[in-house]
Amino acid sequence: MDALAERYLRPEKWPGTACPGCGLRLLTREILETFDALGLGVNDVVWGTAIGCTGRQTYAAWKGDAFAGTHGRVYALATGLRLALPPEKRLILTVGDGDAFTIGLPHLLAAARRNVDMTVIVGDNLGYQSTGGQFGVTTPLGARTDSSPYGAWEPSWAEEGLDVLGLVREAGAAFLARHTIYDREAVVETLKTAVATRGFSLVHLYYPCHVHYGAQALGSDELGVIARWMRERYRATGVVHDARGARPEFTERLRRFVADVQGRKARAG
Amino acid sequence: MRRTFDTGNAAITEAAIAAGCRVFAGYPITPATEIAENMSRRLPQVGGYYLQAEDECAALHVCNGASLGGLKAMTATSGPGFILFADPFGWALSSEIPVVIVNAQRVGPVSGITGAPGQGEFYLSRYLTHGGNFETIVLAPSSVQEAFRLTVRAFALSERFRTPVIVLADQMVTDGWEALEVPETPEELAGMGLEVVPRRAHPGPDFYPASDAIDVPPVVLGRGIGGACSDWTPTERGLDTEQVEAQHKHAHRLIHKIRSHRALLAEHEAFALDDDPELVLVSYGTPSRVVKSAVAAARERGLSVGGLRLVTLWPFPDELFRRRARYLTVELNWDGQLVREVERAAGAGSSVHFLGRCGELPAVTELVDAAATLLGGGSLRRRGWNLEAW
Repeated sequence: MDALAERYLRPEKWPGTACPGCGLRLLTREILETFDALGLGVNDVVWGTAIGCTGRQTYAAWKGDAFAGTHGRVYALATGLRLALPPEKRLILTVGDGDAFTIGLPHLLAAARRNVDMTVIVGDNLGYQSTGGQFGVTTPLGARTDSSPYGAWEPSWAEEGLDVLGLVREAGAAFLARHTIYDREAVVETLKTAVATRGFSLVHLYYPCHVHYGAQALGSDELGVIARWMRERYRATGVVHDARGARPEFTERLRRFVADVQGRKARAG
Repeated sequence: MRRTFDTGNAAITEAAIAAGCRVFAGYPITPATEIAENMSRRLPQVGGYYLQAEDECAALHVCNGASLGGLKAMTATSGPGFILFADPFGWALSSEIPVVIVNAQRVGPVSGITGAPGQGEFYLSRYLTHGGNFETIVLAPSSVQEAFRLTVRAFALSERFRTPVIVLADQMVTDGWEALEVPETPEELAGMGLEVVPRRAHPGPDFYPASDAIDVPPVVLGRGIGGACSDWTPTERGLDTEQVEAQHKHAHRLIHKIRSHRALLAEHEAFALDDDPELVLVSYGTPSRVVKSAVAAARERGLSVGGLRLVTLWPFPDELFRRRARYLTVELNWDGQLVREVERAAGAGSSVHFLGRCGELPAVTELVDAAATLLGGGSLRRRGWNLEAW
């Protein structure tokens, strides 16, 4: 166990039960490097998760406060939790592409609209991999998966000029970025900005699933095959949207509103 | 003590505030909207937070999250929203996070009729989430004042049992206007026999004891002690596990922390049961008020009739139906829900009958006639439908 994992993770949950070679481990390391770089300790971060590979495999790996929500609903749960947390606590969520962009999308957009102080880290493995490999809304057009045996015929939210992050931007997010996890240094730099943002931030990270996606869509479960393909395909990355500080954060706004109502009552009373 | 004339919705609001509720998240729905409106006015006055969610599923999740952070929370809805609670109700139940849910039952199925009373969620309130392996606490008020009392009690029970507690009201209780006494001090509240259980936080790390103990403080995050809380089958430390033995312990706890404290939860009202009447009218909520009058009227006619009003619906009070008698349930649905449970609980030699209605209350005379018919050996039929053939 390396030093960062020892410092931040529960030993019984690391390296965890994700498949050998799964990109989630690099993704987790990048998050830990971010905390280290920001000087955040175990008690400074509350780490929430959801369902699917990204959610399930990251739950309670964090030594500090950890929670998991039901599929797609963790954004609402985290909104409630944010109300009760001290403002200085960082709240991060590691979720999958299905969780954030399909079943949980209305809740994600609601959190963005309110500018709830949280960092959503979407670990995107290009479909539903924990259920064996079915296409999702980020699976490339034409990709063969277990539920698209003739190739995915539906446009994803990453093709034909569509971009799901555009929705999140219009919904009011403060900071949005996208990388593949192979851009390790850039990912950590981006995550540092996102985690330090007072407001809603989201970092969309593509990571490889060689076991299902590689085998089904690329014809090989070799790690190198999906790694080369992913680096080649997802090149245009980086900060997608930066409106930090443009709008008040959710709890800040709500607390000010409550204080204002109480002030009005006191003046009237 | 503040004496007013107000609605059940107002009573529930004031009760929540008195019980320490500081977060309400909801979604407008008739006939529970007024609770949300009242909370939006009252919560900021006491430093609390009112949120309107994108749907009822999110509303209860927001409440769950606030409670996970240590704030008492409540939501309120009616049938079409209640069904959307399946997901967050299950989360709170399995994670053992306290939260209070009010359902003002209206006429169903689905959208049905918005502004009329129904009682179609008797079973749904018991089985509001999937997967089995749990017991539920459900309380049913039949007046404005009782809506106040049971809401305060729901908060206390949710804290003590670490579980979501449902107040299963109906449109007449929530929309109806009656005299209401609102205690203004903790002493007045205690004088009404009501307890406010403050939120405590578990010192950790054993959050999910393999026992049926109650009064175990819930996990509260944000205190930096490394708590873990999820809807996965937990180890005793809250980590997720796929071990069947751990699941057995968890299920046993969720079921028996409630069942083994039935005596603490049981509550009912008896109408003239002292002389062991031959026929017992069984009801909950608003229909109980007609039943009470009908019992008095029937006895004036010399009929051997009593009444039983259930206040705690779940866990179901089987013990109330041990005596050999004829039982007639009076319910605001046509399909017969309470009657099934009474039939299951009734001892050998008893007979169980059903009188349904929906969107309106039965008349006193109708219940007296039904009682006379049953006591005379007849069966209940109305409009050509055999209402006993549930």
